[in-house]
Amino acid sequence: MAAETARQFEALEAQAQTLMARFIAAGHEAVAPAIIQPAGVFLDVIGEAVRARTYVFTDPDGDELCLRPDLTVPTCRLYLERHPGANVAAKYCYNGAAFRYQPAGADRAHPREFRQAGIEAFGNREREKAEAATVALILEALRAAGLAEVELRIGDLGLFRALLRSLEMPERWRQHLMHRFWRPEAFHAEVKRLVSDPAAALTGRPGALIAALGTGGRVEAERHVAAYLEREGIELAGVRTLGEITERLRWIAADAKATPLSPATARLIESYVRIRAPAASACARLKEQARDRGPEMAKALETFEERLDVLSELGIDAGRAEFSAEFGRMLGYYTGFVFEAVAPALGPSSPVAGGGRYDGLLKAVGAGADVPSVGAAIHTERLLAAVAGAKP
Amino acid sequence: MSDRLILAVPSKGRLMEETAAVLAKAGLVLRKTGDARGYRGEIAGLDGVEVAFISASEIAWSLRTGRAHLGITGEDLIREQMSDAEQRVEFLNKLGFGRADVVVAVPRCWIDVATMADLDEIAASFRREHGRWYRVATKYLNLTRRFFASKGLSDYRIVESLGATEGTPAAGTADLIVDITTTGATLAANGLKVLDDGVILRSEANLVASKAAPWGPAARRARGEIVAALG
Repeated sequence: MAAETARQFEALEAQAQTLMARFIAAGHEAVAPAIIQPAGVFLDVIGEAVRARTYVFTDPDGDELCLRPDLTVPTCRLYLERHPGANVAAKYCYNGAAFRYQPAGADRAHPREFRQAGIEAFGNREREKAEAATVALILEALRAAGLAEVELRIGDLGLFRALLRSLEMPERWRQHLMHRFWRPEAFHAEVKRLVSDPAAALTGRPGALIAALGTGGRVEAERHVAAYLEREGIELAGVRTLGEITERLRWIAADAKATPLSPATARLIESYVRIRAPAASACARLKEQARDRGPEMAKALETFEERLDVLSELGIDAGRAEFSAEFGRMLGYYTGFVFEAVAPALGPSSPVAGGGRYDGLLKAVGAGADVPSVGAAIHTERLLAAVAGAKP
Repeated sequence: MSDRLILAVPSKGRLMEETAAVLAKAGLVLRKTGDARGYRGEIAGLDGVEVAFISASEIAWSLRTGRAHLGITGEDLIREQMSDAEQRVEFLNKLGFGRADVVVAVPRCWIDVATMADLDEIAASFRREHGRWYRVATKYLNLTRRFFASKGLSDYRIVESLGATEGTPAAGTADLIVDITTTGATLAANGLKVLDDGVILRSEANLVASKAAPWGPAARRARGEIVAALG
């Protein structure tokens, strides 16, 4: 796709000007981060899966570089270069090419070279307001570009975290489940393991040592592990410390003796993940379920509701947006609210825009701590096709 | 256009010697034609066959593009260079040499890690402690990526290693490795152990047929004779 003809190029340019004008009018500064980026940032932050979809290459100096697969990470790097302390609020917008490998047979809605027009807002502590403003601005820009009809899909990873915290289980199990949330199959398998047989993790490990770790504190446990390594003639090598290894063994020891997760709790988790409903009714249902779930869950729901309210104030009928508890899976770096805008002509597999909150990303690219960050991007070729009313 | 079968075989080293020995045992004697240092040859008694001596790593490429009809090379090299090997080539005969397992190996001191599931489970805490995903050194980029994906692992980073891979965890350039091993002795000497379910592939040299090569009647006939002799 990516402007194969002069006419398409001109149409994309005109559309981009419309989008950027809206972003700039809303106080976003136009920036143009570099197209060629160090590959390491993407690989370390998002993980190896990104390499399979990214054009990674080695330059004559032997440095591993890539064609940016999106503009969010490059914009984060630009912000950090300007504000190394990451302590300044800033709003940026951009329009530029991104590149993603597509397997043979991908349709025209998934080109390997496409242009994203998007916005990012860093350092705004009024989270729900910043999120609602992002959605509103993207929808306004889509409308300005001529897209008459758009469906909004939203999700909230914060709700899932709060739900886990509100449930009776060891902290390590929460971490396991959170880590696997992105991968539905592994997630489901982990829930099953915790219900049926948490001790299953014991096979293939030094059983006697693990039994000895069951009692006593951390320091004593480390002594046990050090003595075991000494006896077995195993040298400590690599960056993982004795402390890290011991901690994980203590988790395994605790799992071996733990009361399995109650089937009721497992059902609650699984049923939450399956929720898919208009946001207003999903919210009502969750409130019903969460009545006795403690303050954290109540707070997360309050936040969720507040965001819907701010959106309505901005003229968006967010109560009718589709809420999906699962939405946000497969999108590595998001940490909270997520959304997508779907044009009926293109369908949900090719959203015209998407974004969300990613508070951990700036730290991952070098900031000293997490920074409140929210952003979104429009897939401009799709938008052009959707406005033309045809599947690209 | 002549309808000769092109057989690609390794051009040097032990792989070439063992290839020649296995073929000779099957009554197929390799002979270089022209200059003794040349890269073309024939098989005594099989007129329709031309032998191409090329480097082992390029044999997979020759088969994929159809420049060679048949090739003798390690299954690991074929599968590394073709994500869809079954679509592009056919494995005809296992040849019983060049045996090596492609395995996932971690430092022996990781006594809490015995399986791929363990590896997945330590990813988050490793990231927390060290500010990055753990690094996997390997020359088998594609095999590693596919195997890790099949086990549901995505939170790691590959660093390409073209030699002395087993030394990278001790040197600090990687945290674990994917490499070939025959006896496991080199891994053990470097303080590494193979994960219980960490065998990606049990590889050996194979006679492999290209699906992209032009298969005329004479080439088919020659293939039949070679397969039968090796069978």
